[in-house]
Amino acid sequence: MAGVLKMGAARSDAAPKTHDCPATLTDTEVLDFCKNGYLLLEGVVPDEVNRLSVDYCDQDDYYEPTSILAEDWFHQHVICNPAVASSVRSLLGPHFHLPVLMSNHRVAAPFDATGWHVDGNYQFGPELNYLQVFYDPQDTPGAMGPTQVVPGSHLVKNKARFMGHLTGIRGAIPTIAPAGSIFITAYQIWHRRGQATGKGMRNLLKYFYWRTQPSARDWIVEEDFDFATVNYGSPIASVVEQFRADIKVAEMFLWLCGRHDDFQNLGGQSWPLPAHRNGAPYGLPTGL
Amino acid sequence: MTSAQNQIAARLEGDFAAGQLSADGLRAALEALLQDTARRQDLLYLHATSTAPSASVVAMTLVEGGAIVAPPDDPDDWPYQSALDAINDGWRVISFPNMALLALSADDPHGLGFEFILEKWS
Repeated sequence: MAGVLKMGAARSDAAPKTHDCPATLTDTEVLDFCKNGYLLLEGVVPDEVNRLSVDYCDQDDYYEPTSILAEDWFHQHVICNPAVASSVRSLLGPHFHLPVLMSNHRVAAPFDATGWHVDGNYQFGPELNYLQVFYDPQDTPGAMGPTQVVPGSHLVKNKARFMGHLTGIRGAIPTIAPAGSIFITAYQIWHRRGQATGKGMRNLLKYFYWRTQPSARDWIVEEDFDFATVNYGSPIASVVEQFRADIKVAEMFLWLCGRHDDFQNLGGQSWPLPAHRNGAPYGLPTGL
Repeated sequence: MTSAQNQIAARLEGDFAAGQLSADGLRAALEALLQDTARRQDLLYLHATSTAPSASVVAMTLVEGGAIVAPPDDPDDWPYQSALDAINDGWRVISFPNMALLALSADDPHGLGFEFILEKWS
């Protein structure tokens, strides 16, 4: 916590705009991100930093308190938080670009749920060139309207204005989390603000990291990870054609491995469909 | 009964059970019920896993009494688990799943797909 004590220190304009650190996600964890479209890291930011962040947002209640990025304590313990940065590093590769804009969905509870939506300028596809990240600086139980996401919906195209009439979606989950939690999302995931029945101010800081290097399988490789037999199933399977989610997840995972050129779907019962086979699946890209 | 009418009835039942139902309370509830008699179109959007009326519901929205009614958090508690359930409860289908979705690429799933829109007058 020594860094937190340097309150008031500010990062200069000349400070590096990229960051690098060890990648700590495993093959399975990266694949899980491809399946779900989000990763929740609970309580990773120290309590003192959470308090500083809430105090900062009380002082700067503009919806884009971007100047918080210049605070050294925020940079060290939120933006470059080891648990977060190593996850971002796993998904976006080395020397990823740091956020240059901070948004705050700051709302006084109680409040109603918003409509389901995908954020603007989305790009559906297997590529993962940027991540949208949310930070809860205060406890965010169900009564404080945590963001809700539809796991796996980053694989299903939609338009925000075609989602205006949706309310209940089976499988949607609230990102209930203690103070200091951060969740990392594929930008195009379907989400909304949940209803809050409690009282108090809810902050939700939102920011972006970008890829600067081509994708590669440079996270923690599991020796027994088998591209041929691993389950590519996604929780979104119930709303798409049979096996379509498996195919989308496999394509995204191969893209992250830097092997998208090798991805193929030969149809029928070929790879990457799940099955109890007596050998390598037909259509498994060579070299995997 | 509509959700609003059910709320009024539940309040009356609660007061009655607690021995607190007064003549004034009963009159106020009756007035509230009478004011809620304007007929409106209720709408029910049910997104199913296929075009079959019996297919499971994956999403729903209810517009009742001129307002959007939030569904229970747990999908198992939703009032209908299929369009057929709703039909059997008196809802009329006014829009069937749009087959234009077939024209889209099979490689690119779009939206929640199979949307039944039903109506009721209350």
